[in-house]
Amino acid sequence: MAGAGKRQRLSLRIAAIPMGLLALSCLYPIFFAVNNALKTRHDYLLDRFGLAMQPTFDNFVQAWTRSHLDQYFFNSVITTAGAVILLMVISSLAGFALACLRFPYRRFIFVVILSSLMIPVQVVLVPYMRTMVGLHLIDTRIGLILSYTAFFLPFSVYMMTAFYSGLPRELIEAARIDGAKLLQVWWHVMVPLGMPAMITLGILNTLNCWNDVLIALLTMQKNRTLMVGISALKGQYSDQIPLFTAGIVIAAAPIVILYIIFQRRIVSGIAVGAVKG
Amino acid sequence: MARVELKHVSKSFGASQVVHDVSLAIEEGEFTVFVGPSGCGKSTLLRMIAGLEETSSGEIFIGETDVTDAEPSDRGLAMVFQSYALYPHMTVADNMSFGLRMTHRPKQEIAEKVARAAKILRLEEYLQRKPAQLSGGQRQRVAIGRAIVRDPKVFLFDEPLSNLDAELRVQMRVEISKLHTMLGNTMIYVTHDQTEALTMADRIVVLRDGRIEQIGTPLGLYHDPDNAFVAGFIGSPRMNFLSATAQAGGRLAVGGIEIQSPVPTRFEPGTTLQLGLRPEHLDLREGPGLRATVEFVEALGSTCYLHATLATGETIVAERRSSLPRTGDTITLHFAPASAQIFGEGGERIR
Repeated sequence: MAGAGKRQRLSLRIAAIPMGLLALSCLYPIFFAVNNALKTRHDYLLDRFGLAMQPTFDNFVQAWTRSHLDQYFFNSVITTAGAVILLMVISSLAGFALACLRFPYRRFIFVVILSSLMIPVQVVLVPYMRTMVGLHLIDTRIGLILSYTAFFLPFSVYMMTAFYSGLPRELIEAARIDGAKLLQVWWHVMVPLGMPAMITLGILNTLNCWNDVLIALLTMQKNRTLMVGISALKGQYSDQIPLFTAGIVIAAAPIVILYIIFQRRIVSGIAVGAVKG
Repeated sequence: MARVELKHVSKSFGASQVVHDVSLAIEEGEFTVFVGPSGCGKSTLLRMIAGLEETSSGEIFIGETDVTDAEPSDRGLAMVFQSYALYPHMTVADNMSFGLRMTHRPKQEIAEKVARAAKILRLEEYLQRKPAQLSGGQRQRVAIGRAIVRDPKVFLFDEPLSNLDAELRVQMRVEISKLHTMLGNTMIYVTHDQTEALTMADRIVVLRDGRIEQIGTPLGLYHDPDNAFVAGFIGSPRMNFLSATAQAGGRLAVGGIEIQSPVPTRFEPGTTLQLGLRPEHLDLREGPGLRATVEFVEALGSTCYLHATLATGETIVAERRSSLPRTGDTITLHFAPASAQIFGEGGERIR
């Protein structure tokens, strides 16, 4: 038995080597960004890989104020939060209907929603742009919120439907006999019971919306979001790498913090739909 | 409290019809049990009364109101499910008050009704717990409490005791019966367990393949079944059915002997019939006797069941309270011909 334990420990250590390298390859860019964001331009030119000897927050202050990151940050928060809330409400309602109610063409509608999952965003960019222009939604936050909702809705609906399909039907039937109308059943039973799936969905959609460049670049051309703003920084200040990395740190920080808080949820939540569906 | 009436009710799922033209009246305050084997449509019928399944044709009345197309929430019923169907995220108190909260009743009234139901069901100390922290019996009591709180016109029970262990089932059976006596509401109870039906019901509705086989009181069905299906389904161990052939002079050949037919009907000699004999009617000292070889003795303490084989190869179960034979013994099972019931080849009762 002792031999088996030793062998197991050895194989774990061997497996740890590629895992460690993988972790390093993920962590180093973050370190690089944070480290250089704390250097002056002069320090960076002298030694781009060394540690920041005299750390300074000037770059952050500059990026935040002079490069309008404050305004971009605000735009990102509004559009991400708006889209995520809208996505949660709509996908939970749709999931409830598709999983629990009986109505004509229910399966057909579900298949249509599923198939729209397979269409890449790039394919529909031209009709999308024409629609946005036609509706005068270009350069509006509402426009971007609606766009995010539309693009991320199929997956959200799919996931909520899969989750709700796993709940016992009797819960809904009991509530309906207890005198609850359909919307009351949704609000009092389906929303609380769907919380695990909805939190996961909230996190995934937050990541998607926050990190999006393509849709935001098309929709908010003058009034940018953070990610579009950061990409623009690269062109404007190609010789200002510390300023640029400061912007990256500002943009990534909220997501990293969110990820650390909810990391357990993210891992267990992604499996939710898979197992119960 | 209300009367429930079904008028020519049918239900189809796609091409398959599961309930065939059922007409039935359940009187105010009556405890009615729907009983039948799996797939006989009893649960579907209950769910149609509840409004959880649409009625394909026919009408359903609760009280004087036609509720055939009404929403479940508008029918004024309460239902207890086999799986309890408690809301896992709510406390016991919240589970019980859910229906009242949905209809926006005053807080004072909700609190009083929950307290009353909790007292009746001895759930007072569990009111702040979540369903996951309760045992199966307690959960089922909460489900019943949720029904009581609403003061429904009719209580519906869909196999509520099937998930409980045997001992608890007997206990809950008594509690539900007591509850009926105390509240006096109309109750409809679905089960596949004929013991539950016999012990609890005022009236039993026996169903098979979506049709009503017979409606009657428990003892009425037991002693006077309309057909071989009801005779076999009600009673445990089930009734023995022996193949019988009519002879001249109103006599019947059965199990290797001849007896006088217990019914006045005259049969053509040679007609094939079935003779129904309940196990407890085979424990006499005199009368016609069937010779049988004992295969197995099932001793239950207060009584015993002998599983035996007749000369004709048919198996038979007989009750025996004293002087037990042993496996392999040849015995004579005496019975009174009057206690036997005669069924035609198609299973219909001949009286």
